[in-house]
Amino acid sequence: MTTTMTSPMSSSHAPASTGGGLARKQNFLTGVLGGVLFAFIAWALSHHFLDNSSRTYSDLVAVFTGIGWMFGFWLGIGALNAPFAWLIGSDQNRADQLYYAGENQGKVRYWKYCTDHKVVGVQYIIMTMVLLGAGGILAMAIRTELIVPGNHFVNQQVYNGFVAMHGMLMILALIVAVAGPWANFVLPIMCGARDMAFPRLNALSLWTLVSAAALLLTTLAVGSLPVGWVVLAPITDQAGVGMDFFAMAILVFTVSTTVAGVNTICTVMTMRTKGMTLNRLPIFVWGSMIAAALGLYAFPYFFLVETLQILDRTESTSFFVASGGGQGWLQANLFWLMGHPEVYVILLPAIAALFEIASVMSRKPVFSYRTAIAGMAALAGLSILVWAHHMFTTGWAPTLGGPFMVTTELISIPTGVFFLVLVGTLWRGNIWMKLPTVWLFGFIANFIIGGITGIYLSDIPIDNELHGTMFVTAHFHYVFVGSVLFGAIAALAFWYPKVTGRFLDEKVGRISFWLTFIGVQVTFLSMFISGLKGMPRRYSSYSFLFEHTNFLTTVGAYTIMAGMLTLLGAVITSWNKGVPSGPNPWHANSLEWMVPTPPPLENFDVLPVITSDPYNYGEEKVNS
Amino acid sequence: MANNNKKPLRSFYFWWFAITVLLVVIAFFAPLHWMPRVMSPQEHMTVVTMILFTVLAAPVAAGVYAVVMMTLRHHTYKGNDVPPAGPAVRENSVLTVTWLGVSVLLTVVLLVWGLGVLAADDGGATSNPLVVKVTGQQWVWSFAYENNGKLVESNTLVLPENREVVFDVTSEDVTHGFWIPQMGVQVDANDGEITTIHTTPNKLGAFDVRCTQFCGLNHAFMVTTGEVKTPQAFNNWLAAQPSRS
Repeated sequence: MTTTMTSPMSSSHAPASTGGGLARKQNFLTGVLGGVLFAFIAWALSHHFLDNSSRTYSDLVAVFTGIGWMFGFWLGIGALNAPFAWLIGSDQNRADQLYYAGENQGKVRYWKYCTDHKVVGVQYIIMTMVLLGAGGILAMAIRTELIVPGNHFVNQQVYNGFVAMHGMLMILALIVAVAGPWANFVLPIMCGARDMAFPRLNALSLWTLVSAAALLLTTLAVGSLPVGWVVLAPITDQAGVGMDFFAMAILVFTVSTTVAGVNTICTVMTMRTKGMTLNRLPIFVWGSMIAAALGLYAFPYFFLVETLQILDRTESTSFFVASGGGQGWLQANLFWLMGHPEVYVILLPAIAALFEIASVMSRKPVFSYRTAIAGMAALAGLSILVWAHHMFTTGWAPTLGGPFMVTTELISIPTGVFFLVLVGTLWRGNIWMKLPTVWLFGFIANFIIGGITGIYLSDIPIDNELHGTMFVTAHFHYVFVGSVLFGAIAALAFWYPKVTGRFLDEKVGRISFWLTFIGVQVTFLSMFISGLKGMPRRYSSYSFLFEHTNFLTTVGAYTIMAGMLTLLGAVITSWNKGVPSGPNPWHANSLEWMVPTPPPLENFDVLPVITSDPYNYGEEKVNS
Repeated sequence: MANNNKKPLRSFYFWWFAITVLLVVIAFFAPLHWMPRVMSPQEHMTVVTMILFTVLAAPVAAGVYAVVMMTLRHHTYKGNDVPPAGPAVRENSVLTVTWLGVSVLLTVVLLVWGLGVLAADDGGATSNPLVVKVTGQQWVWSFAYENNGKLVESNTLVLPENREVVFDVTSEDVTHGFWIPQMGVQVDANDGEITTIHTTPNKLGAFDVRCTQFCGLNHAFMVTTGEVKTPQAFNNWLAAQPSRS
């Protein structure tokens, strides 16, 4: 026990007398300390030994410092304990495994490298809220700057950094917003599993994300990332060391999503209980699995593009720099090969969660279950063939415009299927108007607008007018804020009682809904008009032509902020003081509602046997 | 019972019709009212296509909104306990196939129209276009014309009416986006590459040139103006400019 649990950091010390040595004391704080310490050592060494007359000196120092932070953090929090134990020839025993699963540790386990999928799920909820909060503060700074023409609030350099960092943080937040909490907390229980297939990898995906997000945030302190969130070459060549930190963060983030994706797929494929055939799987499990598979395809491009970026910056290669024989279009292609599938990695778990919610809350089966799965799979398949629609106006390969226009517009067919499934499920149901249902209706209203405005942009003649304008910004905010975020909040309200044993406050939740819903319409409808009038994106200032619509957009953005703060208040106060919900508040049939609340470690005493899918509302009950 | 079933349906049809009408009104109002003055065939087709697409999308969007309105009005459960189960409809293959059929049909219409407009635009080159070299650099645009073997440079873009213009666009540094909002043409300016777009200005008057690709500190101020002149006025302007050989 003692030898297996000793971390490399503590290997020179004698193990503590009780409880398995220093490894038992590791937590988030020791992770941060380890990270800062190793970052400092890496900085000091590279600062001292590298040739400081070299053009790439500061970038190399930044990269080594970033590597130091990452490894220090992982060592400090205990992510590397088990692999090192295995390397020196011993493995974890059952007592160690139960310790790492957080058995009998109370709330402290939420700050530790904990392998229990339910703890990881809660950690992802907190992580999502931290990322949304940070991105939201930047959004408010951006909108405050744009409330009137001219530069008044922050200077242009700072503003440009805020724009990129807002985009990047929000993208990260939404990638994990549904898949992080719920594909970890409820998905294994839905499958009838005692945990994920690889519990340690589950913890690894969370804490690598934390380390990457921390590095990403520090770029604000080291010259930021004044290049837009798509970090298009060759302007990245003009960015400072913030760009190196960003690239490092993306490399680690890619590891995080890959590990999480593999884990989700393996869990669904190998850990289902007896009788849980693929055609009885809850639709949310299907959606999460398809999104995970798509992520496994997409994110390696991100890894690749940032690796080449780091080589360009630290080794003076010129993959993306024209003066050295490289090409910015190479970077754009690689980025969007990731960037478009990524949109559906974000969207699919939210959609699938809403199918689940629509069925439970209308007391009806999911309408056309197989078409829904086929639609999600078709969307994932098509999404890898559409990337160049982001490049219609770049001048790259004009002859490919037509084919990419075809693949892009075909996307509207599976997207239409999603509306068929939602509308078909709600049709003539007995709708239970609770908080999750309210956000579901908000989603439908917004996703129609986000979807249809996407069709305009897929048409090349229209794109030649509207590309790069606020119209595009408004379009994808209707998809990301109006749709994905609404879906994520619906999922939070739906599964919150399973996590806490209490309802998310209905009344405060509805106030939050109306503030956010009205805020979204005011903000992004007026932003569409700014775009139609001809205001380009990423402007730090604008002409008086766009004065009124920008003022409205800012007012709307503040309203969204009020709605989000209200929701945050409800999430925090309901956690301990909300109305008790019991184990199955929505009287649903899927397995996560059949276990006690909160679910015990390893979920089931006896694994259940499944005889039907969970959607048998109004049919003869055979599954109890 | 039959009566109960008809009332929600009437509400559905009402909202379907009302919202479709509203969206069709928006389809005509928004592009014509808010988009910039139309000064080229491309911008004309952009506005027409936006109206067409919105009109086609209107009944689909309105149908979904109508179900939402009908559901909120007639199918929400009023009791405080758990609602009873709704009708156990798992599939309606007629509806599913119809829905898929309609979305395929609409997509094909959009594609045929869009590809047709694209092809017509690509095939429209005339024999004697005016070639303008456009160069972006942080954070100004410059334009170069050839006049009887001499090079004329300008920081504003002056174009003749009703003659095709070909823009050869490049950049001195980072990537910029060359865009004339009033003419519906846009292409990036890339270092080390020349990208090309063409248009035929068909209205006299002023227009804008803006940068649509984030290019650093003063991206928001990388703007200039242009003017479409009569061919005679354009030739006079060109001859009056200082030139280099």
